[in-house]
Amino acid sequence: MLKYVIRRILEAIPTLLGVTIISFILIHIVPGNPVRVLLGHHYTAERAAALSRSLGLNKPVWEQYFIWLGHILVGNFGYSYVYNKPVVQMILQALPHTLAIVVVAVLAAHLFAVFLGSVQAYFQDTVFDQVVTVINYFLYSMPSFWLGLLLVIFFAIDIRWFPSGQIINVNDPHPGFLDWLHHLILPVASLFLISVAGWARYMRSSMREALLQDYVRTARMKGAKEFRVVFVHALRNSVLPLVTMLGLSLPGMVAGALFVEEIFNYPGMGLLYWNSITNLDYPIIMAVTVFLGIVTVLGNLLADILYGIIDPRIRYR
Amino acid sequence: MASVLDVQSLSVEFQVNGRYLPAVTNVSLTIEQGETLGLVGESGCGKSVTSLAITRLLSKTARVNGKVLFSGPDPAQRNPVPSSGPEEVSARNVRERELLTVRDKDMQDIRGNEISMIFQEPMTSLNPVYKIGSQISETLLLHQNISPRQAFSQSLEMLKKVGISRPEQIMHQYPHQLSGGMRQRVMIAIAMACNPRLLIADEPTTALDVTIQAQILELMKGITRDFGTSLLLITHDLGVVAEMCNRVAVMYAGEIVEQGSVDEVFFNAKHPYTVGLMNAIPKFDATSKERLQPIEGNVPSIARMPKGCRFAPRCPHVMKQCVEQHPDLFEVENGHQSRCWLSVEGEA
Ligand SMILES: Nc1ncnc2c1ncn2[C@@H]1O[C@H](COP(=O)(O)OP(=O)(O)O)[C@@H](O)[C@H]1O
Ligand SMILES: [Mg+2]
Repeated sequence: MLKYVIRRILEAIPTLLGVTIISFILIHIVPGNPVRVLLGHHYTAERAAALSRSLGLNKPVWEQYFIWLGHILVGNFGYSYVYNKPVVQMILQALPHTLAIVVVAVLAAHLFAVFLGSVQAYFQDTVFDQVVTVINYFLYSMPSFWLGLLLVIFFAIDIRWFPSGQIINVNDPHPGFLDWLHHLILPVASLFLISVAGWARYMRSSMREALLQDYVRTARMKGAKEFRVVFVHALRNSVLPLVTMLGLSLPGMVAGALFVEEIFNYPGMGLLYWNSITNLDYPIIMAVTVFLGIVTVLGNLLADILYGIIDPRIRYR
Repeated sequence: MASVLDVQSLSVEFQVNGRYLPAVTNVSLTIEQGETLGLVGESGCGKSVTSLAITRLLSKTARVNGKVLFSGPDPAQRNPVPSSGPEEVSARNVRERELLTVRDKDMQDIRGNEISMIFQEPMTSLNPVYKIGSQISETLLLHQNISPRQAFSQSLEMLKKVGISRPEQIMHQYPHQLSGGMRQRVMIAIAMACNPRLLIADEPTTALDVTIQAQILELMKGITRDFGTSLLLITHDLGVVAEMCNRVAVMYAGEIVEQGSVDEVFFNAKHPYTVGLMNAIPKFDATSKERLQPIEGNVPSIARMPKGCRFAPRCPHVMKQCVEQHPDLFEVENGHQSRCWLSVEGEA
């Protein structure tokens, strides 16, 4: 097992390297010059040249890349151009917020999808099944940012149940866990809603497929009740493809979280990312890229391990 | 005493594109206590559908008619522990029920407990994500009021009875770690765990190697004899029937075309289809020139059943009457019936 994990991490390194190279090239292709942004109306050609030199931006791109790579290999992600703070510190501040949204939304969406899909399979082809299928399809075809905006308009602006942004209530001198949770709900809800529909659809078909298998017939032959057939015999087999999807869907979920954070003005990695792109804050953009890459790789690994726990055929190979 | 199973005019139709197509038509058969009835026919003749109709395991697209009378022990007086010797069921505590009309709940109590099934595909019939031990125990726990520990030790006993070596280890293994023959043994252990009165085995050895086939048949023969279980053995292999059965019913295109004791049917086959099946059995003493003679043509699809005799299109003795009129199951001799115009008294 440990060997397997180590092998998977080693295998991920080339991918991560590729991602950093592409990001590095992209940010240098994008029109705009960070020096100009930083100097603003203090801009003069001399100052620009001096700043360029001190940031190392005057060197060729490939050389810059290797310098950057050499630094991050020893854990040095540099300083933000704009805030002049250590990049690692800024990321460590933002990361927990993003992780909270993604982890809570992914878990909730998965558990609910598994539940809904199974119940739908249990009530196969009844009116209930058909109504849920239609609702799912409707949610499934909805763009995430649009759904997020709808939620903000309705819950935060119209009926004011939830805050429309920020992580804590700035007027509250002692912000607590409940307050944090209160701010978490809308972003999580929008991420949950856009992903749960797809997964429930997937779970439903996986479940229907499982219910046609020979071992399900065996379970019925034994005299198991239909509830037991669905929730004990078919369920565990039919979550397997879903767990695979969990791993594959993580990058999408993280990307979705970036949008959602922008909409809810939620100070996670997403907001950090958007701001640093606007400011051409290269060190932060690169660091966020690397961190998201690592999170994705770890998430995939976690999904694989989970798969092995559920499916003995994988475990023993 | 009533037969263990008494199927009367069983018909099954499947809804396909809004039409009901006949997969099984007017099948009647009986199985006595401790008896083995063979149900033979080529693939696609409706053998599996018949067995699944009896146990009510068909999909919702099936429409089933007729009667399935099953006499099992009265639940109130049943001895829950599978005894090592034959279980004598006296007429007093036997109750007859019509399976097509009992409640789902009652059917669940019967399945796995009084009627069990073994299927053709040992490789896929066990749940891949649960251990062998728990899959056998499940049947016991569903039907008997015992603790998981007791269920475990009874399951272990069953594994020993079906001739599995290292049963303690196998209890903790998963299906994919076992060979096809071993899995079929496990299926037999599951099916026999609650000591059912009737076992239905749907081509239990078709998917296995020849040597393993013989072992599994031997095991089924022994275990049904020891438990006093009646057996409905479905096969397309007349050799298996000769080896295992007391009586045999030959099925063609959803109907029983010949039925009788194995001796009668083998030595005095009346229906041309049965004769055809016999000619297709490989003979060990055959010279290389005496080739197998499989019946030409195919089993008709249920969407286009011939109007007259369903075997007429393939029959070497086909007459005008055969194409026009559907033959009944005529009594040839006591207990020997044939669905052929040639079998009508005086005509043959
Ligand atoms: N669910 C179903 N829907 C429609 N037709 C079916 C279904 N199940 C079986 N059949 C048809 O019924 C006929 C008998 O099938 P089956 O009982 O499986 O044959 P076998 O004798 O090989 O066991 C076949 O023609 C098959 O195509
Ligand atoms: Mg079959």
